[in-house]
Amino acid sequence: MPLKIGKAEFAEAVEQSELPVLADFYSDSCIPCKRMSPVLSQLESDYAEKLKIVKINTNFEKELTEQFQIQAAPTLILFDKGKEIARIRGAAKKEEIIALIEQANKE
Amino acid sequence: MMYDTLIIGSGPAGLTAAIYASRAGLQYAVIEREPMGTGQIAYTERVDNYPGFYGIDGFSLGEKLREHAETLGTAFLEHEVTGLKSVQNGWQILTAAGDVLESRTVICASGASPKRLEISGESEWTGRGVSYCALCDGAFFTGKRVAVIGGGNTALSDALYLAKLAEKVYLIHRRDVFRADHALIEQAAHTDNIELVLQAIPVEIQGTDSVTALIVSRNGNKHLIPADGVFVAVGSVPNTAYVREIAELDSIGYIIAPESGETSAKGLFAAGDIRTKQVRQVVTATADGANAIASVQAYIQKAAAV
Repeated sequence: MPLKIGKAEFAEAVEQSELPVLADFYSDSCIPCKRMSPVLSQLESDYAEKLKIVKINTNFEKELTEQFQIQAAPTLILFDKGKEIARIRGAAKKEEIIALIEQANKE
Repeated sequence: MMYDTLIIGSGPAGLTAAIYASRAGLQYAVIEREPMGTGQIAYTERVDNYPGFYGIDGFSLGEKLREHAETLGTAFLEHEVTGLKSVQNGWQILTAAGDVLESRTVICASGASPKRLEISGESEWTGRGVSYCALCDGAFFTGKRVAVIGGGNTALSDALYLAKLAEKVYLIHRRDVFRADHALIEQAAHTDNIELVLQAIPVEIQGTDSVTALIVSRNGNKHLIPADGVFVAVGSVPNTAYVREIAELDSIGYIIAPESGETSAKGLFAAGDIRTKQVRQVVTATADGANAIASVQAYIQKAAAV
């Protein structure tokens, strides 16, 4: 299960992470987010050595939601050394997420 | 493996077909595009017209249907169906991944998807203010101004849901009367922060970093409606691309089929929102699922007798 983080943990979990971080900005009422949850859990174990996955609840983390200008749930943002390098707005298929992760590992 | 029937789609029609197929002792499976999907109903905030479940949220109703089908041993196969091919004794189902599944009969229950406006700015601002899911994205517009486009039950439900979050909701409809249920129209009319903008045709969505306005045309004049979000609920299009060359469709793309689900192609049945019918609701989708299995059984028995 990807770790749920908020503003307080963001610096350590994302900005200072050695590994690239995939952040899932989700909302409680969002059905595609619920459907994507098991996919992200699976990817977390498949890519355990290469990537971290965290979840950010947009209903509670207003500041991060504003900061990253999230307007669609889910939004997946891939960070490398704390810098945004790619983003998927809206529900994504497993293959699309894998393509995103592979891209991060190439860079 | 040759199935008796393969059910394409895991919405209320497909899940009910699975329940009836299980009880009929058929060799069957459900093919779904979205893992753990339950169709469009999952995206409805509240369902007040499915008997016995007054006030239930659509996601929970979908889960109940799915649990029911799972309890009876339904197998779900995750595939995107791209085509069908008629073969001796049945059908081949072709998938996006290149797999081929075989079945004596097929039930098309792949429903419909939200229709797009096809106006300038729509694609550009999707995910940055333009949304097709009020439940998913509504919270991002808390205290802001939004426009909801459409005149059916989905548009009215979306407007009522968004009115609880947004400062202001403009409900834009091209006609002067709504198609939605009377109860929803009454509720919207009595909600202070919903403003009706009727006989208005959306022509453009404008934005800078995200959406800033919707432009509508009324009596040939253009008007700017200030909006941070635009929620599109202008109906749906049937997911019938994979049967276009196989079964007879109507001018919109729905599979022409009566209550029995029988289509113009032998051994191919249609259930739920995908077929021509008067009322597209969960209650008629589930009924279609049951009827389709009865038709499948009759078809298989008849084929065996020949």
